[in-house]
Amino acid sequence: MTFFDLVLRNLWSKKARSIGLAFAVAIAVMAVVTLEVTSSSLEQSAAAIISVGKADFTVAQKGAADTLASTIDVDELARLRHTPGVASAVGVLVETQRINAENPVFIEIGINPSDLRAFGVKIVAGHHYSATAEHEVMLGWTAAANLGLHVGDRFNANGTWNTVTGIYSTGNAFGDAGAMFPLPAIQGYNRVPGIVTLAFVKVTKAASITAVAARVDYDQPELTTIRTAAQFGRADQDLVYLQAAVNGSTVLAILIGAVIIGNTMLLSLFERTREFGLLRAVGWTRRRTLGLLLGESLLLALVGATLGVALSFAIAVVLENLPALKGILHPNFTEGAFWRALFTALVMTLIGSLYPTIRAALLSPLRALSYE
Amino acid sequence: MSERMAHQFAIEVKDVSRVYPGPVPALAAFDLSVEYGEMVAITGPSGCGKSTLLHLLAAIDTPTSGSVIVGGRDLASIRDLSAYRRHDVGLVFQFHNLLPQLPALSNVALPMFGTHRSARQRKARARELLAEVNLGDCEDRLPTELSGGERQRVAIARSLANEPKILLADEPTGSLDSASSTRLLELFERLTNGGTTIVMVTHDSDVAAHAHRVIEMRDGRVIVGASTRL
Repeated sequence: MTFFDLVLRNLWSKKARSIGLAFAVAIAVMAVVTLEVTSSSLEQSAAAIISVGKADFTVAQKGAADTLASTIDVDELARLRHTPGVASAVGVLVETQRINAENPVFIEIGINPSDLRAFGVKIVAGHHYSATAEHEVMLGWTAAANLGLHVGDRFNANGTWNTVTGIYSTGNAFGDAGAMFPLPAIQGYNRVPGIVTLAFVKVTKAASITAVAARVDYDQPELTTIRTAAQFGRADQDLVYLQAAVNGSTVLAILIGAVIIGNTMLLSLFERTREFGLLRAVGWTRRRTLGLLLGESLLLALVGATLGVALSFAIAVVLENLPALKGILHPNFTEGAFWRALFTALVMTLIGSLYPTIRAALLSPLRALSYE
Repeated sequence: MSERMAHQFAIEVKDVSRVYPGPVPALAAFDLSVEYGEMVAITGPSGCGKSTLLHLLAAIDTPTSGSVIVGGRDLASIRDLSAYRRHDVGLVFQFHNLLPQLPALSNVALPMFGTHRSARQRKARARELLAEVNLGDCEDRLPTELSGGERQRVAIARSLANEPKILLADEPTGSLDSASSTRLLELFERLTNGGTTIVMVTHDSDVAAHAHRVIEMRDGRVIVGASTRL
């Protein structure tokens, strides 16, 4: 019999308690992983916007509550274009609209046709709209396929019918699932004349992207430059709060789980006092007794973590298909989510079992054997 | 120089007292010497201190005063008492104290964790010991599936796992039928012939008669039999 066999047998002999503990760990892990995956998915959806334009970096209003609430006015855009090292700065207005139940969050991008090339737009069918047209639209190829529309068809958006002049591809799933409108038209629909949401900047060949971005940050402190998804919090406070909520929930889940585990382990300690006394009396060291209990706890943590991740997969599928979240939430189980699951389970179990385990290891053999 | 030559006695208990809260000390100015390979039976009424003496010898309790010397080493000076309990003494409890979740074989193997033996060697040794106590066909049975006598025999097998120099047994034949008792006493005799020192507590005068020496205790003191068989 190996030490691991002993750990397994001890857990198996108290099936109800072991399953209960593993389930407690699993519930906490499920909550933490689902939050993490949801947050990560929302962050990815939001961060996808900045990579539509194939720019060297994106500029947004600093500290905006969320990306789509960012506002950059005409003057700011003009100053941006005149920053040394900037080759082009394409201003776009990004809005969302509910088209139907299948597309509750449909992306609309307002952009001048002269900026399409710089924005990385490739027209795959038809042609682009004219700069001042009021009822023309181009559809991303994914959106066109989803909606079953072709060049020349009419598309109802913003309370009006628009003619589809072309189908485009940006090479970005987020951009290709939306539509593009003439910038003044969409500014008019949303009553924000002269305002864009984001500016997509390309630098000259001779310039350093980092240096130009730093210059923009310095010259226009009301704006912020974003080069990676990780920097997205600079412009999107909601994501910062969401991440803080996820971290807070992790700590809370760990504490609640640890209390449940600690309580159960303490009851188990009283139940098994004579057993620990016997082990010490036949020559087991404190360290070995401690190892036995920690081994049992760690195995429970691993089982709980696995179960918790499986449960969070199931919850994520349910959330993904909720009407309110359809199209927004694309659960992405990153490596980080699995590490967080393992971390949560291990920390929770170790904190919860620490006191009972140490107490068991420190028991006097005779007292433990005399325990009734 | 061998251990045996260096120290005349396997066990020396010198002026030991063990006081618990209560009117009478469990042991009072207790003296005892036991030779290597000697089998000593301790008798006396309940509460006279027999089990306390075994607990002190097994180093699961400590004396209030006096010294317990085993194999020439004062137990108070041993830093790693776990190693002493594991390698030097085997302890048979009055109420078996088997772990209910483990089969007989694993119960016997418990003291061998932390020794040089591999899992396979532990298993082989535990099998050998179960066969020795006539329980070769019970290795997979849980304690709840064994009779009182069988449990006692498993406990005896466990106490012998690490080939202890000293065997301490509290009522080892208490749950055994006469045939099993006889076989156990034959085993004890073989052990003492091999040099193992045995101290057993018993109420059974027939069992005590098999010992080299019988010590009668009362109120924590020796009444009869303190001197060695020499």
